Amino acid sequence: MRAALLCVLVLFCSTVAQARDLEQLAQQPRWQALLHINPGATLRDRQRSYVDDADFFLAADGAANPVSELAATVEALEPEASPARCRFPARYRFVAEALGWRDTEPFAHCAEYLEWRGAVHAKRAVLVFPASYLNSPSSMFGHTLLRLDQGDDGAVWLSWAINFGAVTTEQDNSLFYIYRGLAGGYPGRFNLVPYVQKIQQYSNMESRDIWEYTLKLDQSQIDWMIDHLWELRDINFDYYFFDENCSFRLLELIQVARPHGGLLDELRFAELPVNTVRALEQRGLVTERHYRPSKEVELAALSDRLDDQEQRLARRLAADPAVAESDAFQSRPPRRQAMMARTAYSYVRFVNRKAARTEDIAGRSFALLTLVNRLPSVEDPELPDKAPPESGHGSQMLAASGGQRGSDDFGEVSYRLTYHDLLDNRRGFLDGAQIQGLGITLRSTESGAARLEELDLVSIRSLSPRGRFSKPLSWYVEGGLERAWAGRRRLTRYVQGGAGGSWRSGPWQPYLLASVRAENNSDFGPLITPGGGAEAGMLYHAGRWQWQLSSAGHYFSNDVYRHRSTLAVQYALAREHGLRASLEREGWRGDGETEFKVQWRWYFD
Amino acid sequence: MKKVLLAAALLGASVSAQAVAPGGPGCGWGNLIFEGKSGMPVHLLATIVNGTSGNATFGMTSGTNGCDTSGALTYSGESLLSMNGVLEEVAQDMATGEGEALTALSVSIGVSGDDRAYFNSVMHENFASIFPRQDVSAGEVMQRITAVMQNDQKLAKYV
Repeated sequence: MRAALLCVLVLFCSTVAQARDLEQLAQQPRWQALLHINPGATLRDRQRSYVDDADFFLAADGAANPVSELAATVEALEPEASPARCRFPARYRFVAEALGWRDTEPFAHCAEYLEWRGAVHAKRAVLVFPASYLNSPSSMFGHTLLRLDQGDDGAVWLSWAINFGAVTTEQDNSLFYIYRGLAGGYPGRFNLVPYVQKIQQYSNMESRDIWEYTLKLDQSQIDWMIDHLWELRDINFDYYFFDENCSFRLLELIQVARPHGGLLDELRFAELPVNTVRALEQRGLVTERHYRPSKEVELAALSDRLDDQEQRLARRLAADPAVAESDAFQSRPPRRQAMMARTAYSYVRFVNRKAARTEDIAGRSFALLTLVNRLPSVEDPELPDKAPPESGHGSQMLAASGGQRGSDDFGEVSYRLTYHDLLDNRRGFLDGAQIQGLGITLRSTESGAARLEELDLVSIRSLSPRGRFSKPLSWYVEGGLERAWAGRRRLTRYVQGGAGGSWRSGPWQPYLLASVRAENNSDFGPLITPGGGAEAGMLYHAGRWQWQLSSAGHYFSNDVYRHRSTLAVQYALAREHGLRASLEREGWRGDGETEFKVQWRWYFD
Repeated sequence: MKKVLLAAALLGASVSAQAVAPGGPGCGWGNLIFEGKSGMPVHLLATIVNGTSGNATFGMTSGTNGCDTSGALTYSGESLLSMNGVLEEVAQDMATGEGEALTALSVSIGVSGDDRAYFNSVMHENFASIFPRQDVSAGEVMQRITAVMQNDQKLAKYV
């Protein structure tokens, strides 16, 4: 009897001990990372798994209960030849290490996994950041993916790219779906594609520079990541543009590799890809940085080393390779001929990057390459020295300003959620690109209390210079609330946009845009008053200085005319600080007002 | 020989696949990867949510628009050079004498690090015979590369 009691006690105790062990084990950072438990990094699903897919869990309450998921996992993985091992190799590794399982070939029965793992292996992991490009505002926040290198330095064309993205369908061609994309209406999945496809997509098709950051991960950590990646095959996460996006999911993957890295410790409302790079850099996880210029940048570098006449010849050569036989071409030294031929080829490829194959394009490309091959080899042109995006200013901004309008002194405070305007500190950004979202300015004057001066919902500008080899359109669109003259200064609600051209010569960038505006205010009769007009301006970019001189006018359907001319300058005091001064003249029929303002701008994340 | 088969697979032109004529009408020189739907909304969507259309690939299949590579692929970097636009990059690198596409090709053939510069120079010299016409197929290119290597004292050992 006593023996039996003792036996029961021992059994009971060992079960209790086991349960306690499991509980402790389930609290380990790696187990939490393997289940994608939200440690408090974002607002949704706190202390629950981010995974929105029942297939990922073995326990019924697995998404919310890491302990029961661990218990179910141990049970499922323990039998030899268990099919669960083939689905969860990283979980197996975790459990086997923790419980001391010693199976030398635990995956012998997993042919598909072994085959995949044989193909997907890596000695090095690299974070890849295709930077923004002009003319596509949606790209302006950038994107991130991970690259797995098989080891050879020069052979990144053989590497894999791990990419997290929303899975959309072919029919999703309407603006509604963009909303859905922002709001979590699409499932997000990891996919794995040859890195060369990503180079084609970003560098060739979209003219985006790519920045590559080698991560400080050792072989074992990289293996954790790849094993876990297999567990995420066809597994759905909800995709949220602002926080649970591509960059955030990559941090989670890296968290599996280095569960004690503290990458997800802080709460974030939005994960900007550039901040992902900063987060990794601050934790000493980046060992090397590499710049991969877009095809457009390469073309510009090729054409910049030609003189004016050679540029014209290169253009003609691109249109008709027989120009190579002309006296004008033949009279140039062979090295200069080679430079022209390289430029012409690069131009044909660039211009037709989105065109389907035709005999004409193929024929010209082929003829030009043959010419390049026949002429002496010339070194590649030197590329412009670009500051990496993570060296740019923070994404949010607070500003304080003081000034005078008419004879009234005023003081202002401004806040902007995101991100950059034409005059903000330019290091790490593209000249002529602006994307602003949610900016608010409150003004208080001597004669009145503080009131709303401006509420910027969205303001996007893309002034991309036209040249001999590239002819992009410049355009802008913006909307919000601002004070403007309508009988007196009133708060108006407006949307406006325009398109035109921009050019660049050294630091100077002139632009000319036609624009339309729709406005609503308490003075204008119709609910919405449309107007048309134009804007002309000149930007000056050099070192820490950015200048803008601009003049815009609109004529409205109710016969109101209004124009605004501005001279503004910003000096970058430091990476996160800028000093701006502006002089503005707002005019309307018969009268006008002048405003002078000095502003200190502080950027932060 | 095994390495050459691998490289042939990389070019999307394994021995077995040649029977079914590698490539397709839209495949080869001058072709590009961008096909499918266009239009502002769909492009915006794709950029915003970094979207992929249809099923997410997982290293199992790969996008080779225009190029029929059935039967030629295994899991690894396999489809690299059969992908649209890549043959062209190889051609460009051969014409100029260096580049990432050419390096990837030499690595997949198994050319050792010491011989890569030499491999590049041989490819550069033989550009005209490797790319004789504008409509040359990936399979043909691979055969011609093999032939050039066989005729070279230093490179013959890799084929």
